[in-house]
Amino acid sequence: METSHARIVAIITFLTMILTSLGTINVVKAGTLDEIRARGHLICGVNVGLLGFADQKEGKWEGFDVDFCRAVAVAVFGEDERVEYLPLSAEERFDALRDGKVDLLSRNSTWTLSRETRYGLTFAGVSYYDGQGFMVPRSSNLLSSLELGGNNVCVLKGTTSEANLPDYFVENNMKYETVALSTSTEAVAAYENEECQVITSDMSQLYAWRLQLSEPSEQVILPDAISKEPLGPVVRQDDPAWATFVKWVLFALINAEEMGISSDTIGEALVSNKPAIRRFLGIEGELGSDLGTANDWTVQVIKIVGNYGEIFDRNLGDGSSLGIARGMNQLWNLGGILYAPPYR
Amino acid sequence: MTKATLAAACILILSFAIPSYGAQRKELDVPEQPGYVPTAEEEMLPAELRPQPVFFRTQEPPGTIIIHTAERFLYHVQGNDRAIRYGVGVGRIGFEWQGIHKISRKQEWPDWRPPPEMIERQPYLPRFMAGGPGNPLGARALYLGETIYRIHGTNQPKTIGYAMSSGCFRMINPDVISLYEKVPVGTRVIVRQTPKL
Repeated sequence: METSHARIVAIITFLTMILTSLGTINVVKAGTLDEIRARGHLICGVNVGLLGFADQKEGKWEGFDVDFCRAVAVAVFGEDERVEYLPLSAEERFDALRDGKVDLLSRNSTWTLSRETRYGLTFAGVSYYDGQGFMVPRSSNLLSSLELGGNNVCVLKGTTSEANLPDYFVENNMKYETVALSTSTEAVAAYENEECQVITSDMSQLYAWRLQLSEPSEQVILPDAISKEPLGPVVRQDDPAWATFVKWVLFALINAEEMGISSDTIGEALVSNKPAIRRFLGIEGELGSDLGTANDWTVQVIKIVGNYGEIFDRNLGDGSSLGIARGMNQLWNLGGILYAPPYR
Repeated sequence: MTKATLAAACILILSFAIPSYGAQRKELDVPEQPGYVPTAEEEMLPAELRPQPVFFRTQEPPGTIIIHTAERFLYHVQGNDRAIRYGVGVGRIGFEWQGIHKISRKQEWPDWRPPPEMIERQPYLPRFMAGGPGNPLGARALYLGETIYRIHGTNQPKTIGYAMSSGCFRMINPDVISLYEKVPVGTRVIVRQTPKL
């Protein structure tokens, strides 16, 4: 009896300690959303400069990742100007987020297990499905990367792209020769000088390289991705409410496109009698308030930043110099794999 | 109206076009130009509108044609998550439609008979034009089921990528010739629209 009583006391003491410590954490660390509101702006970690994703033009940040920061700022404040962009190198990005230097990392980062566990981070979703691809001259008439056998392949030395090559070619019984180059400039020059008939890297990189060639329109980027590089916004694990917030900004952008709501059609959408659209725009229900912001936040986001498709087209797609095809990044019901849970 | 005049209705062109989903394609003001033979240079489309293999995930079997009206693209499904994508011109505002049909007939160098409504608006148009270079219906026509709609060629390559037809889908002649050879009568054609608000 006495021992079991002591045990109960010990358990209660232990539970109290846990609860107290949790309470302390909560007191010391206010929610990220509240901190951002108190500060008056969002701090967003972006690439130091990557065409299409995050780039400074006349002192103004623009790009696919930058537009996501803007969308989050609009979701919080109703204004897209309230963002401080912090350019981060590949090495420092995850430390910067973990150490609280940024609220959000929107910097073409691949979602992997170790990046979540090692740094205590959470990927809020996938905003861009990238993967290793191949570029060939249009005149080669190749349609598939399974037809690449017997060619010289240019690749950057020491990259995962180089490591993936033997896996892919051996698995598919194709012969090839590697031409390994140290820098992007050398790789593009080697391809231009026909030292190789094929050049490989992440597809988004290939589209940027294509612009450096003398005849970009005479190059074809084959549709197959031979590796998975899902890029997405990242937050810290310590604030699940903030992770949820960021996640639903991304889902809202995708859902808006699926429902046909764009910055052009928002006026028409606001007078729609479809329940799903009325709910999405905050005309009915309290989904926005439940998320912790203005009930009609989605209206502002679509008006100011646009839906996923508009963001893609403007920065990476037909409306940009890159001309990246939607491919995997098309909606799930239009031949791609973009799929957002329902806004309800 | 006969089938031929209905077919001709499909190539009606008005002097406006809606901008595409990406809003990057601007308005276009071109009347039809019967007799005009496009040059090879004109048929060099911008890179994104040329035929190209793309990633395309679908449950539809290889061989199926899927047209995304809002994108101004026609996909010829190849299987293995791949399709050949062609740039097309599509139905203008008010002439959008969606549905599933089978190719019911194939015609090389179709004849053109502008319908009376069109003649009334543009009396200078010919009453009949035999198939051949310069014919607004272009080099090939694929008839979609029992409808008045077709996938056909064009003598106006610059209209590819725009919405200005009366519901037909137009491709540049080299592309429609290439597609014509690949698709037999009976091929499923799926036409998709943007969601309605």
